[in-house]
Parts: sequence; structure tokens; C-alpha cells
Amino acid sequence: MNTQDLFRNPFSDYNANSMDSKKILDYWCSPFALFKSRISERDIYQHDMPIVFMGGRGTGKTMFLKYFSYPVQCEAANQMSGGGHGNTLSFLKSNGGIGFYLRFDGPVLRSFEGKGLEPEKWDAIFTHYFELQVCKSYIEVILDLVNREQLSREGIEKEFVPRVAKKLGRLGKRVKLEDIFNTVEDALGDITSFREKIAFSKTEFVPSKPFVAQDLSFGIVEIAMETIPEFRNGIKFVILVDEYENYLKRQQVILNTLLKFVKPGITFRIGMRLEGFHTYDTISPKEFIKEGRDYTRFVFEDILVKDWRYREFLIRVAARRLETVPAFKERNLTDISRFLGKREDLQSEAADLVRGQESKTRHFDLLKHSELFKSKLDSDAIKKIQRIIAKPENPLLEVLNIIWVARGNEPEMTKKAMNEYLSGKVSSPLAKKYHLDYIDKYKLSLMILLASQYHKPKMYYSFNTFCFLSSGIVGTFIELCRRSFQYAYFEDPDTLINEGTIRSALQNRAARDLAHSELEMVNRIQNYGHNLYLFAKNLGNIFEKFQKDPLIRYPETNQFTVDASFGGDLELEDMFKTAIQWSIIQQKSYLQQQTPGGPKTDIYTLNRVFSPMYDLSYRTRGGYSERFDASYLKALMTQDGVRLRKKAPKRKTEPKESLQRRLI
Amino acid sequence: MRPLNGEYHNDVREYDYVLVACGSDYRAYQTLRKSKDFGITFKNVLIFDFEERHDYADAEMRKAYQSYEELALNIKPVTCSIKDPSTCVKALHDSEPNLHDAAAVALDISCFTKPYSFCILKYLKEQAKINHITALYTEPMSYVFAEGLFHSYHSTSGPLSIMEIPGFPGNDIRTTRKTLVVLLGFDGELSSFITDEVAPNDTTVINGFPAYAPKFKDISLINNEKLLSSIPRESILYSRANNPFETFNLLEHIFQRDSSAFINVAPIGTKPMALGACLFALVHPSVRIVYPLPTEYANITTQKCWYSWSYEIPLRIN
Repeated sequence: MNTQDLFRNPFSDYNANSMDSKKILDYWCSPFALFKSRISERDIYQHDMPIVFMGGRGTGKTMFLKYFSYPVQCEAANQMSGGGHGNTLSFLKSNGGIGFYLRFDGPVLRSFEGKGLEPEKWDAIFTHYFELQVCKSYIEVILDLVNREQLSREGIEKEFVPRVAKKLGRLGKRVKLEDIFNTVEDALGDITSFREKIAFSKTEFVPSKPFVAQDLSFGIVEIAMETIPEFRNGIKFVILVDEYENYLKRQQVILNTLLKFVKPGITFRIGMRLEGFHTYDTISPKEFIKEGRDYTRFVFEDILVKDWRYREFLIRVAARRLETVPAFKERNLTDISRFLGKREDLQSEAADLVRGQESKTRHFDLLKHSELFKSKLDSDAIKKIQRIIAKPENPLLEVLNIIWVARGNEPEMTKKAMNEYLSGKVSSPLAKKYHLDYIDKYKLSLMILLASQYHKPKMYYSFNTFCFLSSGIVGTFIELCRRSFQYAYFEDPDTLINEGTIRSALQNRAARDLAHSELEMVNRIQNYGHNLYLFAKNLGNIFEKFQKDPLIRYPETNQFTVDASFGGDLELEDMFKTAIQWSIIQQKSYLQQQTPGGPKTDIYTLNRVFSPMYDLSYRTRGGYSERFDASYLKALMTQDGVRLRKKAPKRKTEPKESLQRRLI
Repeated sequence: MRPLNGEYHNDVREYDYVLVACGSDYRAYQTLRKSKDFGITFKNVLIFDFEERHDYADAEMRKAYQSYEELALNIKPVTCSIKDPSTCVKALHDSEPNLHDAAAVALDISCFTKPYSFCILKYLKEQAKINHITALYTEPMSYVFAEGLFHSYHSTSGPLSIMEIPGFPGNDIRTTRKTLVVLLGFDGELSSFITDEVAPNDTTVINGFPAYAPKFKDISLINNEKLLSSIPRESILYSRANNPFETFNLLEHIFQRDSSAFINVAPIGTKPMALGACLFALVHPSVRIVYPLPTEYANITTQKCWYSWSYEIPLRIN
């Protein structure tokens, strides 16, 4: 057995940015089965129109884009050929294109502004910088293909290099491909040197040859297509730009222009957060980019949240990681749902919760909240009902019975419905209704309500729960697993390694800690961090009120609608978009009715990763959605401890006087 | 590196200039208050008055902030913005031409934000052509942990933006990999933010040990658990929390070990460690310094004063 990494946490590599090509391939799980007919793997290289991949933090955008990049595809070709370079070029040709991955970190992008220099000058310097960076990535790949003997050095240096040298302003004869590369690097070095000097002195940027948009990003491809025969037969140059949301607004204008006027043989694949476009403008004052006409938009969460195969996908994602740890691989422990348990056992959780309490019948006090009894129910009357509808071995059924009675059903009939349900009388309409309420509608709400009655937190554990909590964000699921494994390694390693399971208490702690950590992180978001923090907190508190309603009138409510005009408040709109960009809230993929029978509108939900902080359901159910007008939305984002402004509509209950008379 | 503890009365050192940051932490003016005891005198005191720190609602804090006015010294305030060290140091050229000819300059790093310390040091080296400075530093007696010892220290508050410190962009030309060295601090979220932004191929952390107090090194480990669990054990290194030269040596070692890497340093640990990182970046301009720039800093992050130190910093090593 390989003892290195024997007990490594398989989920500790959480950032695709830091992964090398081999690790990307090791962890890669093709998501195209989920994407159905909307997009294929070949489309990534061959589809002419630029594609924008949007998704929240951790949805796998970087992993996705990096997978299609040249270094990873080279590694894939190597692995296919057993280590040789023999088929790299034919492998790339069969793909239909070469991916050039570009990611500039935020500090670099943000350094192209201020320091006393006019914005227009920075624009010119950034354009020059971007063109050189794209050029560098092209030359790097061609140089690598030459070194791998996939392209003829002689041919390249005879046709391609002289024309590129001329374009770059590199003088001299017998210029080599490496010289071209060095020229580009030196030009980039000049920009870095300028960025250093401008901080302390008034200095001008004077490059030996300035480049404007398209000069190199499109120009070099044109030369390559004309002079390198291997690139002539439909192989596309695919520029993969990651983290587009990090680009300053003025920088996006420059890149939007490239997107709009993309040339044959070149296309863009852009990865960005939701709402990551700061502008749709281009350099041309009358032109802007438009979805459908200039680019195709593809939102990761739309696919992942909706599709039941998301679970299968997560199982495969986790399996790829578990397989890398010998302690698990050797024992065939590569199914994450085995570690976490497939589903939570609410019945046992409820029984455990009540068992530990001094008073085990406190939940019957819920009856006092029924409008039927108008707070006139004394303890004798409650005991009277309790004797009829009690089911001590299953407190969840007791809570359901309480709700039934509180809604006007006779205790005896409620008991009959329960008994028929428990005895499996499938033909009984009463048993069917009871089954519907217990299994399909309220079971989770009953647990949340029960826990609240005893002032105990609801537990969050199991694969099913973690899938829901992750809200379609693969990175969140991995982080939930990472924390669970970490706690298990520390507190219960025997069970983890020998039995391949993690105690639900440890999973619960992982979910709660992550919720806290995510909320803290919200505070540090660059734009509107504190506003978004207040927003998440206020939403959590509001939904907690709904979900702990003693009569379960708003089961699992965690969605809302907003006034789409934002009352003309542009800053409020911007804050709201930033909340979406950072996945603090998520927009449902289709328009829905705010209330049954109401008009269709955009619906938003609080990211379910925060659920454990407020003992909220980890699911999103339809039904009631709270509507926030602009002023209330503003209050939610700027004030602490905002309460529900108006009472939500109440569910009607049938007044049954006979029942009141008999019990009170 | 020597402690300023009153044992140098017969060896009084005179500085033409000392540069001090205004602050409401007690240690902000400790070297000015105790200069006689410490055996140092200052002809000119340039005190950097940050506009963001003007509107203290708390009267006690305001009083503490302005208490430098009561010191009988030749003090000249320099109004500046925390967010823009570049403009501030550029203005020094015109406002303090004599600084360029000063024979002895001291910089009290106790209450300067790290971007400011870095910018000033680079300015003194590159623009003022000064070869050597004395860095003064007063250790805090303790840090402010609002809600208990762990997880509640925040040297900054509010939103963050990861920036290159102006003048320290480094140079990634002809490098093959990106390495991030984090000088570990208590504020665990900072290291995660920086790592996500910089996206290095590999990360090394340097924890302050021995720390000012034994518990501090554990707090920084616990608060940065997420980052630490994702890097190999051999990438967790230690350097004395109050010794910039030890940090410098360690960074040199990392640099020599892999000179083909583009090294990024995030100095979010103690100020003396950051001073070591600054010295290192001055020696190696190819090194980039990244730092989380907050919209606001916490008003008071430390309590009382512990030891004060002076460090002789050569600005031109090679």
C-alpha cells in the first residue's frame, strides 16, 4: 500500500486555480451529460459564437475552462498515448481547437488605474498588455508543439516567425521562435516596470511598439492560419478568459469589443460570476454586445440545481477524490453517500431530540396557537387532546396530529388517519391525505417546528441534505465534505477509516461551521460587503420566522420576489446584482407565480448554505413568496435586525364550533 | 535589532527625521513619548494624519489619536489617505525636500498600515536615495479579541480588495510557476481571500514563532486552518514574530530554493515580519507584494505596550 497520503483529506484541494494539469484530469468529471442537448464538448472548440459561462463561486467554471486549455489537453493526449508526444497534434485536431487559458488575478487588473494617470492612458496600456498576453499564450503553445516535434521548426521559422517578428517590431535576421517569445516577454516586462515606477514618480509609458485591440489577439492567428499548414483545416483558436468579473468596467469595454468583432478561426469562452458583466458597452459608442446576437449565455446553476442528475454528478466528483486516498481506495470506500448516509432519518432525529428533554410533551403547547381555540385552551384540554393523538415513539407524527387538530380536524379523526396510514391502508382517502401531509408536504417542517419548540437546533447531515445545501454549487458540496472529513479524522478516525462513515453530529457541525464561515466571508466582499452581509442576515431571520410558524402555514418558505424597477435606485439595483453575483441569493431559472394564481415573476431564494444558521429547511419549495418593494429591500440591505413589515397572508382554517365547545 | 529599554542613556542617537503614523492605539506614540528613556532624539517628526481616521465618534479615541499634539516635539503633520499611499509619498518630494538630504531617518512602523510602510521604505530608497534607516516598533501587550480568544480578531473590517502594494508589482517574466508566501496573521479570512485571488501553484506559510505570547502562534494556526489543510506540512514554516531579519533570511531561502518561481508575498502577520518582507522585496524587485486593502481598519486592535525595538535596516544590500 502506498503510505504517502494514506490519510489525506480527499477534499482538501478545493481551488481549481491551484491545480496542475494532471490534477485537473484526475478530478475531472464531464458535466456534459447534465447539459443534455444544449451544448456538447465539441461545441466548446467549434461553436463560432463566443460563449459566456456564468456561475457562482465554486460552481466549477475554472475547472471547466482549464480542462479545455492546451496544457490539460496535452496531458490527456499524453495519458492516452502512454506518455509519448506522438499524437498531441492529432488529438488537438480531433478536438477541433486549441484552448488558450487566460486568467489575470484581481491585483494585476486593479493596478491598471489611479496613481495620477488619466483613465484613457490606462486603457491604452491595458489594451497593449492584453494583446501581448494573448500573443504570449499563442507563441507558448506553438513553441511547445515545436519542442514536441508536432510542428516543423524549419517551416515555422521560415514562414510564421518573420511575419510575427515584423508585427512585433522585432528587427534583425534569423529570428528564432524563442526570440519572438522573449520579445513579447520583454514588452510585458516594460509594462510591469512602468507599473512599479508610476507609484512614486510622474513617468510616461513609452513602448517600443504600441499595440491596439486585435493587433496580436487576432493578427497572430491570421498569420498562423496562413503560414502553418497544420492549422488550416478548421482548427480553432479558443481564447478561454476566466474571472471576467474581476476586470474593471473600462477593461470589459475593451474585451467586449473583441467579443463583438471576433474573426473566423477565433472564438472566446468567458467564465464569470453571475451578473459578472459590469457593462455591455464596446469601444464604439453606438455598439454594445447582446446575448443571442454576440454571445451565448450558459448558467451553471440553472442546470445543476434543476437536474436530478446533479446528485450523480456529485457522487462522481467525490469518487474521483476518494480514489486518490489509498486508505479509502483499498477498502473500496469511494461512495460519498456511504460516508454521509443517503438520507437523513428525521424520525430518529425527532425521537432523540425529545428523549433528551425533561418535559417530553412540550410540543403539544403548539395547540395554543390555533385560532380555533383563541388561546382559551388550558392544560387540561391539551392533555385531553394529547391522550387521543399521542404517538410517543414518533414525535413527528404527534406534531402532524397537533397541526391537524389545530386546523380544525377532530382529534379522533386525526388519530384514525394516523392509524390507517401506519397500517398501510392505501385505499383509505384519509390515510392518503395523511401520507401526503406527512411524507410529501410537511415532514421536514415538522422536524424544524419540533426542534424550535425545545429550543434545539435542527441537524444537517446526509448526502441528500448536503446536495441540497450546496445549492447547485459543486465547491460548496466539496467544502461540506472537506469539513466533515476533517472533523472525522480528528474526532472519530476509526469509524471513518474502518467503517467508511461519518457521524451525523460531525456532519452537522461541518454544515453549521460552513454556514457561519460563508456569512463572515460575505462581509469581506469587495463591493457592498457589509450590505450583503446585512441582507443575508435579515433574509435568514425573516425566513426563520416563516418556517417556525406554529401552524406551518408557510412550510419551508425561503423565496421572495422584488420590485424589478428597484424604485429607480441604481445603487440598490447594483447591490442586488452583487448579491446574485456572489450567490448569496439565487435566481430561479424560470419565471414563477409569487403566490398560487398570481402573475409570473422572477423568484429569488436565499442560498441554502446559510440554512443551518437559522434552522431553515435545506430545500426550496414553491408556494408562498414574500414580495419586497424597493424601500423594504433597501432596509434589508442597510439596517440590522429588520423585521417582517407586514404579516403574511394567513391560511384559512375551517371554524368548527362543535370542536371548540367540546374542548374548551 | 535592539530593545529600547532605557539602558542607552549615554549613547543618545539623534535622528533628522522620524516618520510616525497617527493612531488611537496606545503604542502609536510610545517612541515619541519615551524617546528620552530610549536614548533617541528627533529633530523633525513627520506625523502621518489619515483622513479616514478623523471622524472618531468616541471622544476617548479621538483624544488618544490627537495626543501627539501634547508632546513637546517639532511635529509636522502630513495629511494623507489610507487608501492612497502612492499620492502621499509622491507629495513628500515637494513638501519635504530636506528629507532627501537627511543623514539619519527613523520610521516608526507600529501604527502604519503595511502598504504605507512598504511605500515609504521604497520611496526612501528609490526617490530619496537613502541607504539606511532605523525602524522603530512597539509591541502590543495584547490584541483585541472582541468575542473570545479564537476567531474574533479582525485587524480590518468591512469589504476587502486584494491589491498589489503600489510600487511592488514584481515581475513574472520568464518564471514558470507562481508561489505565494503568506506571513500568517490571526485574521483567517484574509489568507483565504488572498489565496483565491492570487491562485498560486504552491503556497508556503510563515507563522510567527516564538510569538509575542505563546498562544498567538496557535491562534493564527487555528484561524487559518482551511489554508493550512490544503498545503503540505513542509510548507508551514516559522520565523520569530519580532525579528524582521529572520523573516528576511527565510524568504531568501525560499527564493534561492526556487528562483524560477514568481514569488508573491502577503505580509498579513506581525509588522516586524512585514518589515522583513519589505526588505526582501527591496532586494528582489521581481517579488510581488499583495495585500488585502480594506475599506476600513478597526480603530483599536491592540492594548497597551510591551517592548519597543529598533532595527537597523540597510536599504541597499546588493
